[in-house]
Amino acid sequence: MKPLRIALTKGRLEKDTVALFEKIGYDCTAIKNKGRKLILPVGNNQFAVVLAKAADVITYVEHGVCDLGVVGKDTIMENGTSFYEVLDLGFGKCRFALAAPKGKKFYEGYHAKTIATKYPNVARSFFESKAMDVQIIKIEGSVELAPLLGLSDGIVDIVETGSTLRENGLEVVEDVCDISARLIVNTASLKLRKAEIQALIEEIERAKA
Amino acid sequence: MKKYNKITPEGTKDLLFEECLTHRHVERLLANVFASHGFHEVVTPGLEFYDVFHFDSSAISQERMYKMTDQRGRLVVMRPDSTIPIARVTATHLQNQPKPLRFYYTQHIYRNTPGLTGRSDEIMQSGIELIGASGKRADLEVIVTAIEALSKCVPDFRMELGHAGFFQAIAQQLPIAEHWKEDIRATIEAKNYAALNTMLDRLEQGPAVDAMRKLPRLFGGKEIFEEAAPFCLNEKTAETLDYLRQIYEALSVLGLGDRIMVDLGLVQRNDYYTNIIFSAYVEECGDAILTGGRYDNLLASFDSPMPAVGFAINVDEITRVLMERNKGKKMPNVDILVHSEDGYEIKALNYAANLVEQNLRCENSIFPDREESLEYARRMGICRVDFVGDTIETVHKINL
Repeated sequence: MKPLRIALTKGRLEKDTVALFEKIGYDCTAIKNKGRKLILPVGNNQFAVVLAKAADVITYVEHGVCDLGVVGKDTIMENGTSFYEVLDLGFGKCRFALAAPKGKKFYEGYHAKTIATKYPNVARSFFESKAMDVQIIKIEGSVELAPLLGLSDGIVDIVETGSTLRENGLEVVEDVCDISARLIVNTASLKLRKAEIQALIEEIERAKA
Repeated sequence: MKKYNKITPEGTKDLLFEECLTHRHVERLLANVFASHGFHEVVTPGLEFYDVFHFDSSAISQERMYKMTDQRGRLVVMRPDSTIPIARVTATHLQNQPKPLRFYYTQHIYRNTPGLTGRSDEIMQSGIELIGASGKRADLEVIVTAIEALSKCVPDFRMELGHAGFFQAIAQQLPIAEHWKEDIRATIEAKNYAALNTMLDRLEQGPAVDAMRKLPRLFGGKEIFEEAAPFCLNEKTAETLDYLRQIYEALSVLGLGDRIMVDLGLVQRNDYYTNIIFSAYVEECGDAILTGGRYDNLLASFDSPMPAVGFAINVDEITRVLMERNKGKKMPNVDILVHSEDGYEIKALNYAANLVEQNLRCENSIFPDREESLEYARRMGICRVDFVGDTIETVHKINL
């Protein structure tokens, strides 16, 4: 049988995951010296790592072309759910928050609010849970700009330290939820290759403890 | 104005030649299995009223249905599921027929899937429903029929069994509100161990909470029954587990070995399932190729409560797997190309019809010139050309 395939979100989550694999004792030199390669063997070919953009990790796992994936909860909330989300890896921690210009009472008044965000689905379901009608505008780059330019009343975005918000005169109105990296598994893979996957999950659990 | 006259809508595709042959071949294989076990074919309308699919425990959200209105402004949908329409038929036209009723179907369902995810919006499903029968005999019959049907197409499949009642029986013992139970169910369904633990940590600890915590991990082989035994805190859970074990053990005589699995965390993917649930997987597919189960409450939505059990197979996915495995159907060559000389067209067509009567595959050449007909036969790999004029002249093995 071919080795298990794990899709990793390129960038910081990739580094944290590699650190975790090394702690378990897997040889990750191929990932560290990857050059331009996108599919890389780990350890003694125990499994193969695929490097991808966050949302693509979900796509590959949902379709079963990768058995497992490491991806942020933010991407999961925005993009989909038809897979198993088996572990909170504990790194890549941050949170989704609603932010607005400092001192402005966001919830005040009855006019329909406008929200700028890179995460329209997250923003929509947050306000739906409050039974609030809002206008959502999708922004690709620095979302903080939108309220500063007068395009929106607030933003829904990822907040780590809050310094970007402060520097631009914004403040957190309300936390939406906490975010961290998750290990996800394709539903069919977990059933068909239970022993291998369960063993890997347990190794990771022990390593992160 | 942009015209979309050269493409098909997202999530649909043309089925051509080998793929189409393979598709029909799979449909026939399945239909033959179902028919030979006394199931009768039905076709339900491609369009149905939205209300048919809109009831409390329906798992098909309105976002996923293709909708339009009829001439009186009533909301209609393109059939998003086949089981619910068959339940409707049974509860209405067939209400007074002696039970049980055995149905099979091969028809498309339509789902409005989010864009650009590579999923199909038009899916060919083939399946059976056994309505008006409860109990182990009926459950075993349907599961064994599923196994027989899949064995004809993808014999290396794995079958997974679960029981919707197991979760419900444990959840009953948790002293929490219904919507909390739904949240817990969703995390178990997603095998989201982390979120489940966070939720359960907030509750007063006890044996029922411990059982919930373990539930998403209770999947695998026969050992699961031992592992789950300590969590049978009341009669209902013990009964459920025991029933599942009976089914599992009964199926073990089929010699499928570890290709039959158990997942107690299989908690009602589709809300109308009430009891035993099962699904089947093959390696090339990221999703189940067969899903089924017992749905004893569905007929009550149509005011005619009766027990029922059934399953649906995704014919498109099986076709894809067979094609990938090089087990698809090849396009058959014709045996003879019939060429007609000028003025002998009708004679040639009659001659071809006679050959067809003798069970030969015959194609009519549309070329006026002999050499062109021969060239065409060579290109298409047709081994024999018959020239029809005053007399009949046969050229064999033209490729040599």
